[in-house]
Amino acid sequence: MKEKRFQLLILSPLKRTWGIKMKQWTAFIKKEYLEQLRTGKLLVLLILFCLFGIMNPAIAKLTPWMMEILSSQMEESGMIVTGVKVDAMTSWVQFFKNMPMALIVFMIMFSGSFTTEYQKGTLVNVVTKGMKRYKILAAKMGIMMMIWTLGCLVSFGITFGYNAFFWDNSVVHHIGFSVFCFYLLGLWLTADLILASVLCQSASAVMIVTGVMFLVSYLIGMIPVVSEYLPTYLLRSGELLTGAKSAGGYCISVAVTIFFIVLEAVLSTVIFNKRNL
Amino acid sequence: MGILEISHVTKSFGSNRVIKDLSFSVPEHAVFGFIGQNGAGKTTTMKMVLGLLKADSGEIYVNGEKVSFGQTATNRFIGYLPDVPEFYGFMTPREYLAMCGQITGMFPDKVKEKSTELLKLVGLEGVNKQIRNFSRGMKQRMGIAQALLNSPKLLICDEPTSALDPIGRKEILDILYSVREHTTVIFSTHILSDMERICDRVAFIHDGNIALNGTLDEIKGIRKGEGIEIDFMHKKDAAFFLQNYSSGVLSEETRIVLKKQSEDDIIEIMRFLSQKNIAVRRLERLEPGLEDLFLEVVKG
Ligand SMILES: Nc1ncnc2c1ncn2[C@@H]1O[C@H](COP(=O)(O)OP(=O)(O)O)[C@@H](O)[C@H]1O
Ligand SMILES: [Mg+2]
Repeated sequence: MKEKRFQLLILSPLKRTWGIKMKQWTAFIKKEYLEQLRTGKLLVLLILFCLFGIMNPAIAKLTPWMMEILSSQMEESGMIVTGVKVDAMTSWVQFFKNMPMALIVFMIMFSGSFTTEYQKGTLVNVVTKGMKRYKILAAKMGIMMMIWTLGCLVSFGITFGYNAFFWDNSVVHHIGFSVFCFYLLGLWLTADLILASVLCQSASAVMIVTGVMFLVSYLIGMIPVVSEYLPTYLLRSGELLTGAKSAGGYCISVAVTIFFIVLEAVLSTVIFNKRNL
Repeated sequence: MGILEISHVTKSFGSNRVIKDLSFSVPEHAVFGFIGQNGAGKTTTMKMVLGLLKADSGEIYVNGEKVSFGQTATNRFIGYLPDVPEFYGFMTPREYLAMCGQITGMFPDKVKEKSTELLKLVGLEGVNKQIRNFSRGMKQRMGIAQALLNSPKLLICDEPTSALDPIGRKEILDILYSVREHTTVIFSTHILSDMERICDRVAFIHDGNIALNGTLDEIKGIRKGEGIEIDFMHKKDAAFFLQNYSSGVLSEETRIVLKKQSEDDIIEIMRFLSQKNIAVRRLERLEPGLEDLFLEVVKG
C-alpha cells in the first residue's frame, strides 16, 4: 500500500515528464522509419549500397580480363600491354571512385524529406499537437545519418570481405581512417541538406543550395594553403591508401568538418523554429 | 474571459493588408461560426491563433495564455482541423492516432481507448487501409478524430464542410454538434446554411474586420421584421397596391415584398388596405436568413 502511494506520488510524475520527453522523439523517429520502410526507400538504398559494395571488387576482378580483350585489339595495332596486376588496392581505389556516386543518390533520395512535408502541410498537424520543432529536425537528421552510417558500413563491409577473400587487405594503409573521412564528408553533406531544407521550399532548391555549399568549399579548396582546412579536403582521403601520406594531415579537416556539422545543426534548429510550415 | 480572445490583431502579406484590427472573443462551450467570403482571412486568423503565422501586431489569448509564434505552448488546449487535411499517407488511421497520442504525451492505454471511441464517432472504425487511399470525406473525418484526440478545450475547424457533398456535410456538422458539450468549437465557412444549422454564436469577417458578431438570435434580430410580404387574393389588388407603394417588388403574381418596414409602417399599410377594402390572403413579416445579412454586410 505504502509502496503504491510512493509510486503514485514520486515515480509517476517523474515517469510522466520523462515519458513525454522520450515519447515525442520515439513517435517521430518511428514515423520516419515507417516512412522509409513503407515507401520502399530503405530497401532501395540498401540494395544500392550493396551494389556499390560489390561493384568495387568486381571491377578489380574484371580488369585483367578487360585488359586482355583490349590488348589483343591493341596488339594488332602494334602496342603491347604486359600483365596487369590487380590486388586489394585496385578494389579500394574503385571504392573511393564510386562511393561519391552513392552519396549523391543518397542525397537526392532525402532532398524532399522536409519539402514534401511543407507542401502537404503534414508537419502543421504534428506541431499543433505540441511537438517540439527541434525534435522534428533532430529525428529527421538522426534517421538520415543512421541510414548513411548503415549504408557506409554495408558498402565498406562487402568490399572489405571480398577483398580479403580474393586478395589481401594489408597492402593498403589507413583504410579505416580514410573510409571514415569519406563517411564524415557524407555526414557534413547531410547537415548541409538539412540546412538547405529549412531554408528552401522545394526539393530541387534544396539540391541546388546543397550543391552550392559543396561547391563553395570545393572551390575555396583550390587554393593550396587553405585546402586542408575545409570539409571537401576529406574527398581526397583515398590518397592515404598508398601510405605516402600520413593520416595526421587530415585531422584539421576532420575537426573543421565536425565543427561545421554542429554549427549547421544549431543554425538549422534556430531557423526551423521560426519558419512557416 | 473567453476561451479565445483576439484583440487588435493585424496581418499583412506584403502590401496586402488581410487583417486590419481584428478583435473578438469566443466564450466557452459555444459552437462559434466564423463566416467570410473566400479570401476574407479566415484561414489566416486561425493560423495566427495556432502560432503558425506571426501577427504583425495585436494579441491572442487561448484559455488565458498568450499565444506565441513558432513554439506554441497554447496549442495543448487546441485541436485543429486544417482546411486541406493531409496526414502521413503510409500510416493507417490507428497508427496515425497512436503517433499523435505519443506526441501529446498521452498514455498508450488512453490513446487506444480514445482512438476506438473517436474512430467510431467519425465512422472510421474498422478501416485499416493506409490513409493515402482515403477519399476527401474520409480524410476530413480522420481530421476531426485526430483533432479531438487530446480532448482539447478548443476545436478549430477550417472550412470542414466546404469540399463535401450535402450528405457528407451533414454528417460532419452532426459530429461537430455532438462534441460541443466537452469542447468549444470554432469553425469557419462560407456556407451559411451550415452555420445556421449548428452555431449558437457567429462572427462575420469582412474587409479585415469583424462586421457582425453575436449570438445567432441577436444577429437575426438585427433585421427582424424589417421586410414584409403581402399575398393578395387578386392580381388587380396587387397591381393597385403597387401604384401606391412603388417601393414594393412583385415577387410572384399576387405577392409583393416591401423592404425595411418599421412597425408603424406596417400599421399604416394595414390601414391603407382596410380603407381600400382590399382583402389579403396573408401578410407576413420576413425574418431574414443569414444569406440576406451576409449579402448586406458584403455590399456594405
Ligand atoms: N502565405 C500567404 N502569402 C501571401 N498572401 C496570402 C498568404 N496566405 C493568404 N494570403 C492572402 O490573404 C488573403 C486571405 O486568405 P485566407 O486567410 O486564406 O482567406 P480565407 O481562408 O478566408 O478564404 C487572401 O487574399 C490570400 O491571397
Ligand atoms: Mg481558408
